[in-house]
Amino acid sequence: MKKSATWILCLFILTAGGLSLFSQQEIVLTIREGVPAISLALPPFISDASSAEAREAAETIHRVLADDLRYSRVFSLVPREHLNYIRPLNPKEIFFKDWESIQTRILVVGEVSQSQNRVIFEVKIYDVKSEKMILGKRYQADPGVFRLVAHRVADELMKLYGEKPYFTTKIVFVSNRDGNDELYMMDYDGANQTRLTFNKWRDYMPAWSPDQRAIVFTSYRAGNPDLYILHPYEGKLTPVSTKGTNFSGAFSPDGKKLAFCSTRDGNSEIYVAEADGSNARRITFNSAIDTAPTWSPTGREIAFTSDRTGTPQIYIMDAEGGNVRKVSFGGNYLDAPAWSPDGERIAFVSRVDNFFDIYILNLKTNKITKLTETRARNESPSWSPDGRHIIFSSNMSGSIQVYSVDYDASNLRCLTSQGENKLANWTN
Amino acid sequence: MKKFLVLFLTVILVLSFAASCKKKAKEVPPPPPQAQEQPKVEKVEEPAIKEPVLTEEEIFMKKTLEEINQEKPLAMIHFDYDKYNIRPDAVPVLEANASWLKKFPTVKILVEGHCDERGTEEYNLALGEKRAKSTMDYLVSLGISADRIRIISYGKSQPLDPGHDETAWAKNRRAQFLIIGK
Repeated sequence: MKKSATWILCLFILTAGGLSLFSQQEIVLTIREGVPAISLALPPFISDASSAEAREAAETIHRVLADDLRYSRVFSLVPREHLNYIRPLNPKEIFFKDWESIQTRILVVGEVSQSQNRVIFEVKIYDVKSEKMILGKRYQADPGVFRLVAHRVADELMKLYGEKPYFTTKIVFVSNRDGNDELYMMDYDGANQTRLTFNKWRDYMPAWSPDQRAIVFTSYRAGNPDLYILHPYEGKLTPVSTKGTNFSGAFSPDGKKLAFCSTRDGNSEIYVAEADGSNARRITFNSAIDTAPTWSPTGREIAFTSDRTGTPQIYIMDAEGGNVRKVSFGGNYLDAPAWSPDGERIAFVSRVDNFFDIYILNLKTNKITKLTETRARNESPSWSPDGRHIIFSSNMSGSIQVYSVDYDASNLRCLTSQGENKLANWTN
Repeated sequence: MKKFLVLFLTVILVLSFAASCKKKAKEVPPPPPQAQEQPKVEKVEEPAIKEPVLTEEEIFMKKTLEEINQEKPLAMIHFDYDKYNIRPDAVPVLEANASWLKKFPTVKILVEGHCDERGTEEYNLALGEKRAKSTMDYLVSLGISADRIRIISYGKSQPLDPGHDETAWAKNRRAQFLIIGK
């Protein structure tokens, strides 16, 4: 008894000492996040050594899943080195106390095998404290979908912890890589960039429907900037507003309404129509420019840009057009509002000394924070479905590319590189 | 006198002999039909095409839209930063454009509104439209029928000058004209 107590004490001292170096960084991260991240261990997946394809699957899925979880800000990965302090993982007999000792809350165990021509990926997710499996899934996969399998597992983990899954969602954007501005879509991490429109005219300002089955966008294909709805998976294209200049389409969060901007009545005004574009009603009545509508997550309000006081500023109104109030302050050129999915924040662009930066207005505290600081043109912010990330376009590297940044300005990454890429949209 | 007569007769005889000889020679090769036609062809004179005097309008109508647009009969106008009102220096340009449009009353035009890169995508599309609209309104105030004018905004997507300084920006904040019908 005494012997084992000493052993535990030794282990504790060793572990604590060994960890202190590494844990420092994590503490900093925790403070920046506001909420403590869930500590998750992702030991290398075990693969059937005789199959090269199984080995490749194990490596790819592990790498992509690790990237997803690091990006999430919901989970923090237990550093790989910490796994050296405990016994090697045996999927048949898991020593949960080992994992607890390296501060693991969730353990993800993956095994890849090959059966005939198919790769089988089996994942088990354990809650370390209760020593119980909380999720088990088996996926059949071929090399084309290894990334997708990893994103699916990441989505399952997000759902387990009450977070909005988004790793299988797509970003739609505009690229001129094939000669003129066309619509493209890509995975959230920039992988699988796919062209969606094929013509010699400009396609512009795309925005997803909430189920990501439809895209509203502006196209010059008929010689005029008209508003269209594209169903990319059905290959169906429908014009919805074709008189005057029609742009800045935005589906409501329930997918039932479509807000857009049009000059059909002679001036740039905001209209709200049914999701198919029918029955459009004008909701702004002002000789100034009213543009860039963005819905609140409840669908009851719309934020927009107006220069009714002389310079473009951000306003909020009811979805029927009443109760208009200015919410921006301290700038003289503000545009491109994007309402966060939690409803508390509005991201927008502000121009100061010919530089554009992304700012976030917190509607609860009425405080504005600056998100980008690059002496460049940072434009067109769009939130991730969970509101922890913002994508935007920027010429900070010289050419215009799509970037992603976390809500606290950390983790800036560039998602595109071919041609110029802009007007990226992830949610509303 | 008798001597003269003899000489005269001799001359006649010689001449008639020569003539008969010539006749004989002519009979031998029948003239080829081509030889006969050829002089005819030579005779046909190309009728001198009398260039009808075309009116300016007729010359205009003979040109394609591309040719007319290449000649740039309608000069562009420029705008102040973030503004869409017609500047005083644009007034004579629009007046000249209006009188040209009155000269060719069948012409239809597209007024394109453009912005510089110092505006956001969204706001610039609306601002470009405002610039095109105020240009159109001014032409209408000068007596040009509104149904001859269409407007379009390209925002900041088609800069004339790709530079990033005030000279380039000033050039890019513009309304320009395209002839789309005649």
